[in-house]
Amino acid sequence: MNLAQKSATACLLAIATHRCSAQTTTTPAQISAAPKSTTTIPALPTSPFNRTTVLLDPAHGGSDSGSRISDSILEKDITMSLAFKLRSLLAARGFTVVMTRDSDAATQADTPNPLRLDDRAGIANRAHPVACLLLHATAAGNGVHIYRSELEPIPNEVNETPWLTAQAAWVTQSEKLQKLLGQALTRARVPLVLSRASVRPVDSLTCPALVVELAPKGSDSSSLTDERYQQHVAGAIAAALVFWQNQAQPPVRLAPVPTPSTPKKGAQP
Amino acid sequence: MISRHQRIVFWCLVGCILAMGTLLFVERQRARDRIVALADATPLDAPYSTTESVTLDLANDSDGSITATTRPIALPGEVTARARALLEHLLAEYALPGSPHPLQSGAAVDDVFLLPLPLVGHSGGATAATSALVASNDPNALQPQNPGGELAVINLRSSFVNAHPSGVEVESLTLMSIIGTLHTNLPQIEQIRFLVDGQPRETLAGHADLLRTYPSKDTTAQAQTSVAP
Repeated sequence: MNLAQKSATACLLAIATHRCSAQTTTTPAQISAAPKSTTTIPALPTSPFNRTTVLLDPAHGGSDSGSRISDSILEKDITMSLAFKLRSLLAARGFTVVMTRDSDAATQADTPNPLRLDDRAGIANRAHPVACLLLHATAAGNGVHIYRSELEPIPNEVNETPWLTAQAAWVTQSEKLQKLLGQALTRARVPLVLSRASVRPVDSLTCPALVVELAPKGSDSSSLTDERYQQHVAGAIAAALVFWQNQAQPPVRLAPVPTPSTPKKGAQP
Repeated sequence: MISRHQRIVFWCLVGCILAMGTLLFVERQRARDRIVALADATPLDAPYSTTESVTLDLANDSDGSITATTRPIALPGEVTARARALLEHLLAEYALPGSPHPLQSGAAVDDVFLLPLPLVGHSGGATAATSALVASNDPNALQPQNPGGELAVINLRSSFVNAHPSGVEVESLTLMSIIGTLHTNLPQIEQIRFLVDGQPRETLAGHADLLRTYPSKDTTAQAQTSVAP
C-alpha cells in the first residue's frame, strides 16, 4: 500500500469516526430527514411548540472570543450585550427567553465542561421555541446580516433525523422568519443583508432558526458597542417576533419509513 | 638494429593504444552524460501540461459576491494533483496585495482525495484476496447523483485555518469559493468535505460549518440580498 492509499484510508477512517460521533451526540429532540418513499407514512402528533418561547444563543464565550472587532472589542462581548437587550425587550412582550449562556463563561449546566456547539443546539431543541436566534457580530459590512441554513428544505419531519441536517424540515419556516425580520429591520432603517450560510450549529436546530450578525452602523466598527444602536436593532427584532409567534407553523411530523423485511425461508404465501 | 617491419608494428600498436584510449575516454563521457541526464529527469514535481485557461471563483468581501474569473495556469494532468494545484492557486490569489478577500499567504491545502461514490468498505475475509467491497447499509450514506460521481475530501492545513479571519461572511465566502472552483473545473466532483490536519473540525474560524458535506455547485449563482434603508 503506497502513501497515497494510506492517506486516503486515514481520511475515510476520520470521516467514518466523525459520522459515528455525530450520531452518538443525538438528543431525543432531534428529528430526521424524510427518505423518499411512495408508501403512505402515518403522521405523528406534532412536537410541542412553545409559541411564547424564544431561544437566544449569544455566540462564543469563555476562551472562545470569536472574531476580534478591534483591539479592545471582542465578538463574544457584543453578542452577550445584544442578547441581554433582546431578552429584556422580549420578556416585556410576554416571551419566555431561553439563553444558551448568560455570562462570559460558556459552560455546561452544573459542570465546568465547556459548552460545545452541539450542547447549544441541544438546549435549543429541548426548549421547542418559536424562534432560535444565533447572535454574532462582525466588523465587516454594516447594518445587520441575517442568514438561514443552506440545507435544501424537505416538506415533512421524520422521527429519526441525522443530527447534522435536522434543520432541513424547518428551513421553510426559517425563510419566512428571515423575511419577517428583514421587513422589520428595513422599516427601522437598518441596512440589511439576507443570505444563506452553514454556520454551526444552525443545521442541527429543530426550530425556525436564523443567524443574526450585527455589523457596524456605518464604517466605524466601534459603533458595535453603541448602546442605542444595539437597542434599536433589538427593538426591531423583538417587534418582528411578536408578529411571528402567531405565524409559525411546525412541519408535519411523520413516522419513520418501515424497512422492507426479507421473507423467511420456508414461509408459505 | 631494429628492422623496419618491427618499427611499423611498434607504431601501429602505439596508434591502437591511443585510439583505444580515446575511445574509452569518449565512451566514459557518454556514460557520464547519460547518468546526468537520468538524474535530471527524476520527477520532483507532478508533470505539468502547458498553460491553460482556468476559471477561478473569486470571493469579494465588499459585496459578498463570488465572481468567475479566468486565469492562465499550468496544471498537472493527474486529477488529484490537479485539484490540489487548483486550490493552491485559488488561495494564493487571496494572499496577493489588494485582494478583495484577503487571506494569509502560505500553503493552505495539505491533500485532496477523490473518492468514488457511494463510499464502500471492505468486509469478509482477513486478507485482501478474500475480502469483498460492500456498500454501506446506512440509508443516509453519501450517494452519487450521477454515475462516476466523486467525493472530494480536502485536507486543509491547520496553519491556514488558524490564521483565517473570523466572521460568518468571510468564512462562508472562502468555502463557497473553493466549492465553486472545484465544481467548475472538475465536474465529476459531486460532494465536498473538509478536514483539518486529517481530523474533522467543527468550524473554519468559529462560524462556517466544516462538518457537513457540501454539494458541489455553482456558487456564483448564490447571491445575497442587500437592502439599503
